[in-house]
Amino acid sequence: MPKLIIDNREVTVPEGTNVLEAAQALDIVIPHFCYHEALGAVGSCRLCAMNFLEGPVEGLQMACMIKAEDGMVVSTVDEEAVELRSHVIEWAMTNHPHDCPVCDEGGECQLQDMTVAGGHSRRRFHGPKQTYINQELGPFIQQEKNRCITCYRCIRTYRDYCGGTDFGTFGSRNRICFGRFQDGRLESPFSGNLVDACPTGVFTNKVFRFKSRVWDLQEAPSICPHCSLGCSTIPGGRYRELQRVKPGINRETNGFFICDRGRFGYDHVNHPERPRQARLDGQQATVDAALTAAAQRVRQMVEQHGPDSVAFVGSARTSLEAGALLAEWAKRTGSPHLLFETHRERDRAARILVDRLGDRACSLAELQQSDLLLLIGTDLIAEGPMAALAVRQAVRAGAQVVVIDPRPIDLPCSCTHLPVGPERLPVFLDTLVTRKTEALTDAERNPLQALLEQLDAAKTPALLGGADLLGSRGISRLLDAAVALDNNERPVRVVGLLGGANSYGGALLTRSPRDFDTLVDDIQEGAIKALVCLESDPYRECFDPARAQAALGRLELLVSFDCTPNLAAQRADIFLPSRPVAEMAGSFINNEGRLQAFEQVIEPGISIRETSSGDHPPREFSLETPGALPRPAWQMLAQVLDLPGDLPAIRQQIATADERFDALTSLTADETGPRITDPVVLPDTAPDELPQCVPGETLPLLPVQGFAGSDWLAHLSAPLQPLEGEPTIWLHCDLAVRLGLAEQDQARLTTPLGHCHVTVRTSARMADNLVLVPHLWGTALEGLVPGGRHIDCRLEKEVNL
Amino acid sequence: MSELLPQQQIDKLKAHAAEIEHPHEMIVDVLREIQAHHGWVPDAGVVLTAEILGITPVEVEEIATFYDKIFRQPVGKRVVHICDSICCWSTGGEEIADHLQQTLGIGFGETTADGLFTLLPTCCLGACGDAPAMMIGLTTYGPLTATKVDEILAKERAELAKTTSGKD
Amino acid sequence: MTDYTQVLFKNRRPGETASLETYEKTGGYEGLRIALQKTPGEICAQVKYSGLRGRGGAGFPTGVKWSFFPADQPGEKYLVCNGDEMEPGTYKDRQLLLADPHQLIEGMVIAAYALQAPVGYIFLRYAYEDCSQVIERAIAEAEAAGYLGKDILGSGFSCELHLHRSAGRYILGEETALINGLEGRRPNPRSKPPFPAQRGLFGRPTNVNNIETLANVPHIMRNGNAWYQQLSAPESSPGTKLFGLSGHFNRTECFELPLGVTLREVVQEYGGGLRNGKRFKACLPGGASSPYMTAEHLDVAMDFNALEEIGSRLGTAGVTAFDEDTCMVAVTRNINRFFARESCGWCTPCRDGLQTISWLLDKIENGQGTEDDLTMLHDQVRNINGRSFCALAEGAMGPVEALLRLFEDEIKEHIRKGKCPFG
Ligand SMILES: Cc1cc2nc3c(=O)[nH]c(=O)nc-3n(C[C@H](O)[C@H](O)[C@H](O)COP(=O)(O)O)c2cc1C
Ligand code: SF4
Ligand code: SF4
Ligand code: SF4
Ligand code: FES
Ligand code: FES
Repeated sequence: MPKLIIDNREVTVPEGTNVLEAAQALDIVIPHFCYHEALGAVGSCRLCAMNFLEGPVEGLQMACMIKAEDGMVVSTVDEEAVELRSHVIEWAMTNHPHDCPVCDEGGECQLQDMTVAGGHSRRRFHGPKQTYINQELGPFIQQEKNRCITCYRCIRTYRDYCGGTDFGTFGSRNRICFGRFQDGRLESPFSGNLVDACPTGVFTNKVFRFKSRVWDLQEAPSICPHCSLGCSTIPGGRYRELQRVKPGINRETNGFFICDRGRFGYDHVNHPERPRQARLDGQQATVDAALTAAAQRVRQMVEQHGPDSVAFVGSARTSLEAGALLAEWAKRTGSPHLLFETHRERDRAARILVDRLGDRACSLAELQQSDLLLLIGTDLIAEGPMAALAVRQAVRAGAQVVVIDPRPIDLPCSCTHLPVGPERLPVFLDTLVTRKTEALTDAERNPLQALLEQLDAAKTPALLGGADLLGSRGISRLLDAAVALDNNERPVRVVGLLGGANSYGGALLTRSPRDFDTLVDDIQEGAIKALVCLESDPYRECFDPARAQAALGRLELLVSFDCTPNLAAQRADIFLPSRPVAEMAGSFINNEGRLQAFEQVIEPGISIRETSSGDHPPREFSLETPGALPRPAWQMLAQVLDLPGDLPAIRQQIATADERFDALTSLTADETGPRITDPVVLPDTAPDELPQCVPGETLPLLPVQGFAGSDWLAHLSAPLQPLEGEPTIWLHCDLAVRLGLAEQDQARLTTPLGHCHVTVRTSARMADNLVLVPHLWGTALEGLVPGGRHIDCRLEKEVNL
Repeated sequence: MSELLPQQQIDKLKAHAAEIEHPHEMIVDVLREIQAHHGWVPDAGVVLTAEILGITPVEVEEIATFYDKIFRQPVGKRVVHICDSICCWSTGGEEIADHLQQTLGIGFGETTADGLFTLLPTCCLGACGDAPAMMIGLTTYGPLTATKVDEILAKERAELAKTTSGKD
Repeated sequence: MTDYTQVLFKNRRPGETASLETYEKTGGYEGLRIALQKTPGEICAQVKYSGLRGRGGAGFPTGVKWSFFPADQPGEKYLVCNGDEMEPGTYKDRQLLLADPHQLIEGMVIAAYALQAPVGYIFLRYAYEDCSQVIERAIAEAEAAGYLGKDILGSGFSCELHLHRSAGRYILGEETALINGLEGRRPNPRSKPPFPAQRGLFGRPTNVNNIETLANVPHIMRNGNAWYQQLSAPESSPGTKLFGLSGHFNRTECFELPLGVTLREVVQEYGGGLRNGKRFKACLPGGASSPYMTAEHLDVAMDFNALEEIGSRLGTAGVTAFDEDTCMVAVTRNINRFFARESCGWCTPCRDGLQTISWLLDKIENGQGTEDDLTMLHDQVRNINGRSFCALAEGAMGPVEALLRLFEDEIKEHIRKGKCPFG
């Protein structure tokens, strides 16, 4: 640990820290453009100059390029250094347009800050400026090349860090620009990070552009609700409209970046059909009346038919606080039926993971340190995009990646991919556990043997698996494999990709060994007559929607708390409008057991923008804010339970009742978050039916998640619509030939659920003999649930008449 | 000249690219070949280079736009590079450049109406002992006088006339 | 033309390129035979003690550089010959190649053996198509004669050479930018460390030398260090050097002269004085990045150390002379425009600073300069010099800094008169 002196103050920093970082450790912030904690130092801007007075290097140096060493004495206030900084700023400004008043970067422009910090206030250079023609980069990113100061952060973010391949640096000398070869949508699922990476306004958020001056935004630290990784975010809203999401910094999870789903999925908050009004038996009601009715009718049901007649189901997007109160409600009624995932396999997988993960838990930061990563049955870009970026960082540091998955996996890094059918995944997992290769085919044996050797040799191996394709058995086997592959030197880490933001928290709260499918039996038989849905959609987000829908029709009472227009919300006898993450405080536990808090960003309400029909201020007046009725689910549940409705009290109550949640009482939204791993109530006997397709007479169908369109909340976000595209299926090239189909053909897909028109995509990098269907809400494919029941299909070429 | 590269040459380059470990090292070579055959490198030439080498067009464009002797815009049949660096400047290079502009009737960066010549300034050609110097295509000429320039242009014109009439 | 011993130019004939036969007749490839009898370490040591210094501009001792090279490390290692030669006023490598190209091939094979780096690249600038043909022929001849390729002269050592023809841009002369260029990456310089000897081409140990440097090696092998050292007077700068004369000299040719000849000798004996009987005002002694020398420096010895002592550099020994009627502001403006145009664009001081200086010099030369502009020029130079990522911008400051040091009066006259005093 080198010890050095900066501006007469001593500081000790970890080995490998550069002097700019060492100064930051002392809260001495020296202007810099090209250095970025995640991107590293390249020494191109020449702004971070410091004078090295004593020690191994001497004279004026770029602090970001010098590793801190013992005995260094450094001055940041040295005259020469200050003069150079002001010159660098002056040079950076020589070509910069003076359109600051109307610049969409205004208010968060580092160039402005650095210009002021660098002491450059009068323009001396009056030569001509370089100007450029901008490109059309798709729905997310607006480009304004003239503002570029050539710090190379965009290219290092987009290409080096995020692995995007359609972005480059063009030209030379002082005519350099950054963009695509030709106009077109930036293809990386991490493209939005350009917005934050660029210190000035070259790349700005096209969706948010000119909506608000950033200093007018209400912002607060939050957690992304669009997958189970729990990335930190900073949503910003104004006039009750959520307008954008920026990444928050959590060095254990997302680091500095987020994926485009997390960035542009926020608009579900503003969805025009979002239910904002409480309803009682089809009539509008006050929230209080609806809550009273809900409490009363549930009680009546229990009185008449016993506690077993009521079931409580939360979801992966239910906050931990609301979930705990739902559990309390269930407990008070005496009902044993409480669970937090209506999708049987996701539910069971989450519970098994929570039960057994323990010290194998692996944050994204830890994942980046792995030297061997086995991805089995998971498509990270769809199921946990930022994990794909962590895998990429591991690869950049020299790690090997092996993928075993039927899909044409597109990781932003190199990997070895074995495209095997889903039915082979259990066999592979078994082999990892037993090392017996008899069950493998000849073609499979060698790669697996090699993999076993690699795993044995690896110093920091990690196994990653997805709940959808592996199912509960597979996740269980994945953990068995980790145990089998442990050795004295190191454990094998495990990352499970779960159903949603709080799948893990939900599993911790689950008290009954039953899963939703067995509850459906009870509903079907009339044993369960009332269902309380907390931000969950048992009609469509389950293992077997057809069976569930038939049964749910028999319910005598359906209560729904929700903030989205889903089927439960529409069909509920009693409906209570809840709030999405951005409109409340709460907490989630991510897929590695990390408890993280989020704060409220905005109040609910229909935005002024919408009520004023373009005029400002609005010309309509009312004493109540339209659409402001939704309340946090935990608040409404507290009312049902006659508990105080404020969050600290609720958190205290939860922690008192269950010591696993002790950390909740002091949790803040700006910490990395403590990990909670604990045994939970496991589901009883495993279902006989394999969750995945088995090759048979007909064509097996494998519904999978897509990057956009499969996450319900993200689907409700208008900015993400352009990414959803048309219903599509994927076939192996050979299968396509056998079926007489070709890339981009239109085809008719027939399943027991009906017909659907799809576009055919083909790939040589996927398993043969199956039809991959990326799940797509709002289309005929929405009934095909990833990780759901095995379905066969027929595929015919559509003949254009 | 509308064809980017003859198929035979494409196949040869592809075969070579497939053999070597780092196909990127051929980017400049392929761009130069396309330019030699087609005169300049249109977008399609960037795409073709990428295809030959099995890399992305953006990787090719990053290189193509860096070098000043790869032309990403149409040029005439012959590019006249007139040196404007110090040795040529000090020996009357500016007068030669003026003379070229007048005789060709074009400014820097322009192409003659007959599509024969494009005039570009260039940095030192490594012919400083023969200053002032210019390079037409890949042939260096110097020391230049106005008369010599006229002779060289006449010679180039004559050669061009021969090749074009031969082709027709 | 000259009485001095001709080593590199001994086979030079006007309009002719020496054939393999001619080269062999004058002792060609004997150095290689001798070298192959020695161990690689012995060759490195000999080159080190010969005192040979790099001819690419920096004058770094070649043998010392070779001794840093991990010749014993297993795996691929590369030898790269730097034939970018794009600094204005520099044309000596071209003359060398056109005169007698096998010196380079032989030098590279010896270097490849000494460094155990059996794959060599010759990086050649775009404009040298004539040289490229000469090199291709020489490579073919050497291969046919068994000097290159598999099992060279039965020694068991094999070596292959590839010619890379570039597409313009001065920055590729900087060795790490050159390596990026060879790899097909954007040719921005790389940060050092790691040095190319540790991590160079394709991430492997790589040694980069100038054409002229490598061409000296066979002669050192053949004739020994004592012979090499007696070629020139200064102990610090042994051997001969190709001086390319240009600008206002009467004779603008390339001469092979011993290091340490005086500038006066170069100007009078070889340059034949200045055109039209004009007086010598100043010169760039070693390419466009070397600070000016003036008439007061005429008796300075043209060697690496002596020039550094007077605040200039021998650089590439391309001597460009300016006569008494030359406006040094205009000269500097021209040179600076070159560097501004050839900046790779990686770092701010070079990319935007040189542009700023161009603008200032334009303004002053056009008679619109002010005292403030002069102050600004000073502060630009102060903040670019030593502050850039690579040595290009530093080189660019050579003439500007010398203009301010030696010709500030001339700048002030421009400002005072509101026009260029030279018309
Ligand atoms: C901007 C710049 C341009 C250069 N151009 C050349 C060049 O054209 N030829 C060359 O041999 N060295 C050039 N060099 C020096 C090389 O970086 C390197 O030091 C040299 O090739 C080493 O060879 P040597 O030791 O044999 O001189 C240049 C350096 C810089 C900074
Ligand atoms: S576009 Fe932005 S991030 Fe990229 S180099 Fe320019 S200023 Fe830097
Ligand atoms: S990876 Fe998941 S949690 Fe992170 S931003 Fe993307 S969708 Fe949100
Ligand atoms: S000084 Fe900077 S911009 Fe100039 S050539 Fe070197 S790295 Fe490129
Ligand atoms: S931050 Fe150090 S050089 Fe840019
Ligand atoms: S300066 Fe014109 S050829 Fe060198």
